[in-house]
Amino acid sequence: MQVYLPIAEMSVDALLLLGIGFGVGWLSGLFGVGGGFLLTPLLILIGIPAPVAVASGANQTLGASVSGLIAQWRRGNVDPRMGGVLLAGGFLGSGLGVLLFAWLRRLGQVDLAVSVFYVVILGSVGGLMVRESVRAILRRRRQGGPARLHAHLWMHGLPFKLRFRKSRLYISVIPPLLVGFGIGVLSAMMGVGGGFMLVPAMIYLLGMPTAVVIGTSLFQVVFVAANVTLLQAVQTGSVDIVLTLLLLVGGVAGAQFGASMGSRLRGEETRALLGLLVLGVALSLLWGLVVTPESEFAVGPMPL
Amino acid sequence: MSPWRPAWPRPAPLLFLGALLFALPGPLPAWPAMAQAPVAPPPAPSAAPSAAPPRRPPAVAQLLPPPPPAPPGQPAAARPPLVAELSQAQVAITTGFSGTEVLVFGATERLLGAGGDEVLVIAQGPAQPMVVRRKIRVLGLWLNGASARFWRVPGYYFLTGTRPLAEMLSREERATKRIGLGALPLEAAGNQSQEFREALLELKQDAGLWHEEGTMHIAGARLFRASLPLPATVPTGDYLVQVLLVRDGRVVARQELSFRVGRAGTAARIADVAKVQPVVYGLLCILLAALAGWLGSVLFRRG
Repeated sequence: MQVYLPIAEMSVDALLLLGIGFGVGWLSGLFGVGGGFLLTPLLILIGIPAPVAVASGANQTLGASVSGLIAQWRRGNVDPRMGGVLLAGGFLGSGLGVLLFAWLRRLGQVDLAVSVFYVVILGSVGGLMVRESVRAILRRRRQGGPARLHAHLWMHGLPFKLRFRKSRLYISVIPPLLVGFGIGVLSAMMGVGGGFMLVPAMIYLLGMPTAVVIGTSLFQVVFVAANVTLLQAVQTGSVDIVLTLLLLVGGVAGAQFGASMGSRLRGEETRALLGLLVLGVALSLLWGLVVTPESEFAVGPMPL
Repeated sequence: MSPWRPAWPRPAPLLFLGALLFALPGPLPAWPAMAQAPVAPPPAPSAAPSAAPPRRPPAVAQLLPPPPPAPPGQPAAARPPLVAELSQAQVAITTGFSGTEVLVFGATERLLGAGGDEVLVIAQGPAQPMVVRRKIRVLGLWLNGASARFWRVPGYYFLTGTRPLAEMLSREERATKRIGLGALPLEAAGNQSQEFREALLELKQDAGLWHEEGTMHIAGARLFRASLPLPATVPTGDYLVQVLLVRDGRVVARQELSFRVGRAGTAARIADVAKVQPVVYGLLCILLAALAGWLGSVLFRRG
């Protein structure tokens, strides 16, 4: 069943899109991440132009994260103050990211840049996740005993300290601002919400308690994704609402199954599996960059 | 009306969101271009051969200014040497569009076939600026290197004839009249290498957007018919169809027809809003996505 995507200017099998949405939604329900990092490469793989895949991916992430945010907010697991600081950085970052994206598009290097970003970021995040979770599993096997909540690092000496009550932290606003900024740039470039990078950054860099991490990251993701959607719609005009909604329909259903399955897995195992998945995506994208292309030439529309 | 009808057993949330998806565009507006009459030539007063079922009065083919002027004593031919018509004047790209065909048909006064008259059909889509990039390998990675910019590249090109083109027209005739893929006027900026031109030709043909095909269908040595295959990726805009009458290796008459490919209904509305009011469109996308997510959360809680 073909559906014509008005912005991508091509028709795609609607069932394929629903299936992709379902699969990604299932995984995101299972692992508690937005799933944008899987979605955008998959869309590029089925032939959606990279700009449309990135912009619509951000829009889909927004929709997928809203339901999670509502649930977390109800349970009081969102630190609005920390979320606000992250968001301030995120808005600046995504603004810069969209400009960078438009510039790369004019240069004709946007597909390469998106792929390289994915390979580098997913490769390192996936590698770290696998290493950390394998260590945790081994530690648990040997004997119990939780690690310290967080170490005191150089960054705790920075000025502009602020008290984050929900997170039980008294730290400088500079690290969360920087984290938010970096994630904002990446989310504009990669069409992801950044949850899979934000969660580790909040736990390991900022030392936030795990209970509020998911809710607060969703808070940031929803607003940054909304910002990216708007900026991409204005700047590059490549948000395809038909594509987004088809993916969301599949995704909402898939997340339902994933979430119920995820509650039966242990934390470390889940993280190890997610890390492997992230690494797998990175490797397959790397393969796409390295393998000799079928045609030596590529033809595309003239960028504005 | 809606092409979107999932065939698998679906839970309630899907139904609901599916309804949302199609509630969005509202009633399908008449495609604005439909109102304007297509480029229809004035009705021909002379009795045209009524071989093809004409929906509009068929047009008289204009005689090209013939290279040797007609003998002064002889009046212009009373009967047109060539009449052609299209099956439709518009192609509407709706949400369910997956490619279509436009039929070109017509008749000639003299008999068609080897030794007699021959017909060539050339269809061209709107010109677009395109970039062809050569991929180069840097540190083991493939990236876009040198590029050539072509300012006017037809988004669609289709050529067919009663015989293969090379047998009908000489190389010089093809080059001067710019007939055939080999003679397309493609001026490049940037890298001038012939390789880029060839790559453009090859990639466009691979994408099913440019064709140069063998023979068309002939009936009764007078009626001809060719179908223009329009793939799902066909660009929107005005298409020009030229029907050429070839006699003794020369183009002696020509008729120009046109049709328009445009988005219609939902697809047209979405693309229009996205282009004309990007801020409104962006906000709408945010709202719709958030609404879909919120609906999901409501349905989760109940379930």
